[in-house]
Amino acid sequence: MIQQSFIKELTGIVGRDNILSSRKDLLAYSYDSTSRQEMPEVIVFPRSTAEVSGVIKAAHRDKVPVIARGAGTNLSGGTIPDRGGIILELSRMNRILDIDTANHRAVVQPGVVNLDLQNALAPFGFVFPPDPASQEMSTLGGNVGENAGGPHCLKHGVTSKYVYGMEVVLSDGEVINVGGSVEDNPGYDLRGLLIGSEGTLGIATRLTLHIIPKPETSRTLLVIFETLENASQTVSDIIGAGIIPGAMELIDKTTCWAIEQGISAGYPTDAEAVLLIELEGLQDSLDRQVRDISEICQKNKVRELRIAGTSAEQAALWQGRRGAFGAIARICPQYIVMDGTVPRNKMVPTIHRVDEIAKKYHLTIALVAHAGDGNIHPLILFDTGNPEEIVSARKAGDEICELCSSMGGTITGEHGVGLEKLHAMFTQFSSADLSAMRRVKEVFDPEGILNPGKLLPPEEDESLHETKEVAG
Amino acid sequence: MTPAFSAEQSAFSQRLTEIVGSASVSTDERVTAEHTVDGLKPFVVVFASSAEQVSQVVKAGNQFEKTIVPWGSGSRQSVGPCLARADAVISLKPMNKIIELDVGNYTVQVEAGMVNRDLHRQLAEQGLFLPFDPFCTETSTIGGELATNVSGPSRAAYGTARDIVLGITAVSPTGDIIHTGGKTMKNVAGIDLGKLLIGSQGTLGIITDTVMRIFPQAEVNRSLLLAFPDAEDAFQVVSRLLASKLTPGSVELVDRLVGHHLEPAGGPPLEENDVLLMVSISGSREDAERHQKDISTLAEENKVDSTVILDGTEVNGIENAYHQAHQSLFTSPSVVQGKASVPLSKQGEMFRAIKKTGSKYGVPVGITVHGYNGILYTRFDASVADPSGIINDLNGTAAGLDGFFMVEAAPLQFRKNGAVLPPRSDYKLMRLLKNSLDPRNILNPGKLVGGPG
Repeated sequence: MIQQSFIKELTGIVGRDNILSSRKDLLAYSYDSTSRQEMPEVIVFPRSTAEVSGVIKAAHRDKVPVIARGAGTNLSGGTIPDRGGIILELSRMNRILDIDTANHRAVVQPGVVNLDLQNALAPFGFVFPPDPASQEMSTLGGNVGENAGGPHCLKHGVTSKYVYGMEVVLSDGEVINVGGSVEDNPGYDLRGLLIGSEGTLGIATRLTLHIIPKPETSRTLLVIFETLENASQTVSDIIGAGIIPGAMELIDKTTCWAIEQGISAGYPTDAEAVLLIELEGLQDSLDRQVRDISEICQKNKVRELRIAGTSAEQAALWQGRRGAFGAIARICPQYIVMDGTVPRNKMVPTIHRVDEIAKKYHLTIALVAHAGDGNIHPLILFDTGNPEEIVSARKAGDEICELCSSMGGTITGEHGVGLEKLHAMFTQFSSADLSAMRRVKEVFDPEGILNPGKLLPPEEDESLHETKEVAG
Repeated sequence: MTPAFSAEQSAFSQRLTEIVGSASVSTDERVTAEHTVDGLKPFVVVFASSAEQVSQVVKAGNQFEKTIVPWGSGSRQSVGPCLARADAVISLKPMNKIIELDVGNYTVQVEAGMVNRDLHRQLAEQGLFLPFDPFCTETSTIGGELATNVSGPSRAAYGTARDIVLGITAVSPTGDIIHTGGKTMKNVAGIDLGKLLIGSQGTLGIITDTVMRIFPQAEVNRSLLLAFPDAEDAFQVVSRLLASKLTPGSVELVDRLVGHHLEPAGGPPLEENDVLLMVSISGSREDAERHQKDISTLAEENKVDSTVILDGTEVNGIENAYHQAHQSLFTSPSVVQGKASVPLSKQGEMFRAIKKTGSKYGVPVGITVHGYNGILYTRFDASVADPSGIINDLNGTAAGLDGFFMVEAAPLQFRKNGAVLPPRSDYKLMRLLKNSLDPRNILNPGKLVGGPG
């Protein structure tokens, strides 16, 4: 329990205008984009590395949990303060410090919103490739904490590929720099450990990002299929033909319908599956790619292939896709979003099994997928007023995690483990794997104050689960 | 001839024999001498054929407090800080097979002792390719290449090992078999230990197998070789390329010292101060035509002297010649090989500064550049009068350009000098990681960047 004197000390570090502790304010930071809610004890808004370090030093001394938070759009309970403590809200460290196109670098504070960086880069003709669907709100610090993906990661890769240097505050308040602005820094790849560590190893206070020239041109294709198999086979055939689109998204009937209830994005509401394909690259090669893809679609019994004729049409289709989770929320406010990822050729059998799970529990499960990457987003809908259904939805979620593991995949491709998938970790990792991760955690955070209880399941729960067999 | 061993050494060797069988353990002087690292000859060499065996060997190392040096083909052992002690070498040479080629998923899982060139050949037969082409030998193994985090020209388009590797199985310093990542394109479950293992030089684990991304071969592969009398013009072309919408497969620059080795494979003849810019293009016919047209225009605008365009098998020819030249010039035992890493816009300046330093000391310095990554490799003969003067000068120059310079591979006496490492604020954490994961300091002791702590 935090004492009043501790809050006073934090106030001295960040200033009266940058700290909240009233019950009403604490409530606002008690949840993220999952359905769980727990109360923090104090919220601080540091504005500099020195302030972050000051807060962490105080927390380290008194062994108070610290949860770094950006915009709270995370989908796995990673910023829920289930052990109380400090919410370290980084949204006021939101300055873009440098855009250096000649060196393909941008330097930002962690609270910069992903889309704000994209907008700042646009006049230079540059982009930062990771584009999570939450990019209008989510911060780059949060993207790094989760190792966020996004539709365009199919061609360009995820966040970890685009973070070169990080200034990090460690659990005792020491400030270090890992990686750097230049490549091939000597020693261990500590940024590889930190990226995706969900705030459990350190807190990034400055990021040096790799930016790339925006592709010369892009085309958006909406491809409509009567069956999921045909849509999925098309995905495989496109990649097999050596074409790597910028993005290749699969959207099912339920989701198309939900999108069209909210905005008229141009999706059909009666087809089993659509693919939203974005081709990008040089003008010279795109005509040919469109031809090749439409041949592949014909072979796979496509119902209709539409090419967005104007940039407005293109934007509407993407707005629909990016707004898919929100559209589902309008028809069903509570749902669990999964993000398991399977080998690309296991996507169809996995989706069929998801269907069976939905039937088994009498649930509606909508689906969108970053199909080119085998990354599926089943959205398990449930009624909060129906306690049985809540239990069923949770069970279905656990089964989908197990399913993805058993298909040779992972329980989480983008959204992280947080609290929601802690126990699913046992389906993917052996106790030796987990113990190696715990050692790393102990080196970075011996007192266990940084986002405690997230990412790595408790050792004592291992006996409750059959951990993955160790292969020889 | 078998030398006399202490009782403890004999007991350890005996244990190794129990694990892998007597045919896979050698204390023969000829075998142990071949596996000498940094002047340290192990008393036993053990050949492992499975992760389970590697695990048992490492457990035995912990039990008997004997240090273990992981070994692929041995070609990059004299890289980085010096080894402190070598009791046993564990060779992964018998682990040289493809475990799974999953064409539908575009991944390949291979044992760590698989030779990269063999893997490339086998993939090519199926129309596939692995975008991982480090400057290494014909016999370099995938495991060794990951452990030393070497890279090659294709990093311009595909990144380095950390971007291509999806999963790793390794044996921890205490002998546990651990899995990290898997075979999916995306994976954020848990802490990404795979990235920690890549480049850890065998100090944090012994990689036993890995899953890597592969791709269908491109429709067209082409190589543009452009000779510039003035280095400045060549680097100007690179800057313009970096700012353009083009997406070349690789962009390499070499001086004449390296470039003249490419002449037999079709490279243009070079004059003394020429710089050769090599741009590879791979993609569709349309893509290739556009790249060729735009790059030729850029080159002409920047005073290119001669241009050669290679196609099809000629491209393989020039790439092989480049790898061989790099290998023979940069990694021979009498050479000091360094690496400068600078911002992209300062590559030209670094190149000129290196040449100037060479002239100042009267030493020819060969240079190759990954032009899309700001990486410049340098080489000079170790027998020169004042090597530390050259190294100090280059450290200073690179630091002045917001980058760093370090000696990578060199005879022992150069690497003993810890001062060749650029100063950093994260070495302490690296040492803590090593101490925690390898409490008995069994795996490659001393090899850790940042010193023994």
